[in-house]
Amino acid sequence: MDASSEEKAEFEGEEIEYLSYGGEHHLPLIMSLVDQELSEPYSIFTYRYFVYLWPQLSFLAFHKGKCVGTVVCKMGEHRNTFRGYIAMLVVIKPYRGRGIATELVTRSIRMMMESGCEEVTLEAEVTNKGALALYGRLGFIRAKRLFHYYLNGVDAFRLKLLFPRQELHFSGPMMTNTDASHEHTDLDNT
Amino acid sequence: MADKAVSEEASMDGQAPKPTSIPVTDNTVWADASPLLDAACIGLRYGELIHGDNFNLFAAMSALEIMDPKMDSGIVCRYYSIDEAIENGAAPVPISLDSTIDVQCTIDIMDHLLACEAAWHKGHSLAQTVFSCIYLLRLDRTASHALLHSYGRVIRATCKAVLSVVSDARTHEEEDLFTMTYGLPLNGDGDEKCLSMLNAVEETISRQLRACKATSSKRRVSEDLEPLQYNPNLEEGFCKALLCRLRFRKHFFHVLTCMKRPQGRGLELARKHIASCISELEFILKSAEFLQSCSGESCEDDIDDKTTASGREPIGFDASLNSRLSAPTPPRAIKILSWKKAVEYFVKLLHDLDVICSYSLDPHLENLLRFVVQFQKSQPDLVARSHLQLLLVQDGKLYGRDPIFAVITKAAALPEATKNHDIQKNESILQLGQCYYILQLVMNLLKILCTNAAWQRRKLGKILQDWRVIYLQNICMKIFQHILIWVEEQTYWIACRFLMLGFELELYSASEYCMVYWYSYAVLIKLAEKTHLKMAVSYDTAKRKGKKKRDSPKDLVRESRIPPAVLFLQCYICLAEGLTMMLAALRNEFMILQSPSPFNTEQEKFVQHFELLQRACIPDHASYLSFKESTTHARFSTLVMYNYFKDAQRIAKEVKSSFSNDPDRLAELRKLEQVAEHNSVALNLICRLGALDPSLKVSFEFSHHPFFATAVVRRS
Repeated sequence: MDASSEEKAEFEGEEIEYLSYGGEHHLPLIMSLVDQELSEPYSIFTYRYFVYLWPQLSFLAFHKGKCVGTVVCKMGEHRNTFRGYIAMLVVIKPYRGRGIATELVTRSIRMMMESGCEEVTLEAEVTNKGALALYGRLGFIRAKRLFHYYLNGVDAFRLKLLFPRQELHFSGPMMTNTDASHEHTDLDNT
Repeated sequence: MADKAVSEEASMDGQAPKPTSIPVTDNTVWADASPLLDAACIGLRYGELIHGDNFNLFAAMSALEIMDPKMDSGIVCRYYSIDEAIENGAAPVPISLDSTIDVQCTIDIMDHLLACEAAWHKGHSLAQTVFSCIYLLRLDRTASHALLHSYGRVIRATCKAVLSVVSDARTHEEEDLFTMTYGLPLNGDGDEKCLSMLNAVEETISRQLRACKATSSKRRVSEDLEPLQYNPNLEEGFCKALLCRLRFRKHFFHVLTCMKRPQGRGLELARKHIASCISELEFILKSAEFLQSCSGESCEDDIDDKTTASGREPIGFDASLNSRLSAPTPPRAIKILSWKKAVEYFVKLLHDLDVICSYSLDPHLENLLRFVVQFQKSQPDLVARSHLQLLLVQDGKLYGRDPIFAVITKAAALPEATKNHDIQKNESILQLGQCYYILQLVMNLLKILCTNAAWQRRKLGKILQDWRVIYLQNICMKIFQHILIWVEEQTYWIACRFLMLGFELELYSASEYCMVYWYSYAVLIKLAEKTHLKMAVSYDTAKRKGKKKRDSPKDLVRESRIPPAVLFLQCYICLAEGLTMMLAALRNEFMILQSPSPFNTEQEKFVQHFELLQRACIPDHASYLSFKESTTHARFSTLVMYNYFKDAQRIAKEVKSSFSNDPDRLAELRKLEQVAEHNSVALNLICRLGALDPSLKVSFEFSHHPFFATAVVRRS
């Protein structure tokens, strides 16, 4: 057992560099991270499907040139809603608990919002307390429970984040907003 | 046939088999597509994917399943077909020429099959569980081995029976791996006689058991009887171990047959077989010690994880063999339940089935709904739930016996005199259509209530609009007034269940409790109102239809008293209101249980959680704005004065006497009292100390009731 991989990495927050997916050279980094940490085996075509069609939604986190985290997403029309979907989120173990995953996801969600998504969704195991807390802090609710969603028999939550829709909004204080939330042109007001 | 073709290919050194021509029929013309596929392969560059108008990139990407030999041609399997496995000795018949080992291995196979069966029930595919048994895949081979053969037949017939129950129920959407069986040999000729075969084997072994017991005391050996195996010291133990396993299978098959009989006619007999099953399972568990001792292997620490009582690996199983068939075999190897856990599963299943069989088939819908809700609390699995559903709704009748319309009129407390022809007299087509629509809604509701909680909640949310539509589009004539009120009551009941299931399913985070209790409070108020109205209208009608007598003092009192069922709901209302206000006050005064997010506000969460209810206008005017207005001014100082929890306690105490014959409702009332008491104490504590002591932490736990939380005050 490699002792060094078990230890927590020492670093300052500013040392982490976040990059948007930049091309084929990033693909093996993403693949090796996801293969290492997540239980689902994906073919290279699965990765290419996401990063070729939505390169602006995938981000990588680097520390001193080493890739330590990644998020892979997509977005599209789903039953009359323009919706973002978070497919994979990984941060290697020594770098967890320091907000890197939150930052990766936040960047992706912001991009989805700016692109006109009305909501964002993903599935997470009901036992994955870390993920549930992370997404809960970002405003996701547990919209549904999916019985035995995973083949090992574990249930999943479908998590959903609904972006505010200007015309319905109760006049209360808005949380920290980006410029995008004031643009009406891209949002589909049905 | 497919297996043969594959093994031919495998042995032909890469030479592709020559395509045979397929005869043209009326509807089909066949053409050889190999040249086209070859050209496509040459044309595709490395790393490219085909996609088109009807086959988008998502579909193309999803079609590639790693490790599934149907899609992943590179995956290497140990055996490429069942026949190849058999040819290589994976499932010998007999298992061993040494009769002792043969018996031991047979018992191991029986145990492993039980574990597989439990794994199947729990949600895996039949192909990777029960039918991972090579003996079962080619049962005819075992004809010379009476034990294996008869056992295999009964298992096959049992699986088929269970499958048909679940398929007929048709509410296993999320558990759909269960019913996929394409390519599996489930239909055996003569399987209906499997029990007589099993009985014959059981009889033989019983005689052998008697003989070997007699031998030890009287030294008499019957010449007709052949011992099971050659070691006389082990004969008794093996006979007993086999007998309880055979008898369990026999009784379990009887349970399924009895429960299938229409109109619940077989339920009483089923209970007897259930009791026998449970006692045989106990004997099976006891046999483990003997089987482990004569297995000759050292006692390993992980014996609890083994799929057999003896702890040995069973012979004749290969889960990957079916992966080339069409039945789904997800590429990941699944973990078969341990033998101990499998027995536990069957014990629970039998207990759940017993509850169903003991049900009195109450013709009152209200009582039935309560029974089903209570039954679901023990979290029964798919097989039990499907049995319940099929018992409740058969041939469009309740229990196959009571026409649903009669059940509804009884539930709506329509006067006894009202019969079908009264309804038909007011004959507008629209009204008859409405009747039919309501019938469908009720049957659908009963089915939904028998499904797993997660799926159930989603469906309940979806049908809210269907129920509400009756009220909104109603063209009402007097005779339907009762039914309309009853429909409204049911609608709010469904809404309540939808909200409460959210707690059971852990869908709400603590910062959302306030809005959930507020919404529940709004729905409960309407439910109580409609329930009360229904009872008042029925009492009114009964009075009018009854003889003109002077109102006795008793009657007058009865009129003014609130019915116990409504008081029960008022207890719920007080608790919901109390929790709403306490949570609101905590947020207003101490800023806790808030959840600010960078991307949205509380309003979005409100809209999402209650979207289905809002769409159905249940209730009217329950908007985010009214939620904020109701809770903005909540303060502890006022809460202590108008203590909703004290009200709840008072009502619970008062109404207990009305339910003295109903243990379930008494238990519920006791729980409500506990919730009220603890929350009242917490309320007072926070009021007195909260502002002064910043180290006080308040959390909400479901220690007394699955829906109403209890505030827990701690020092951090």
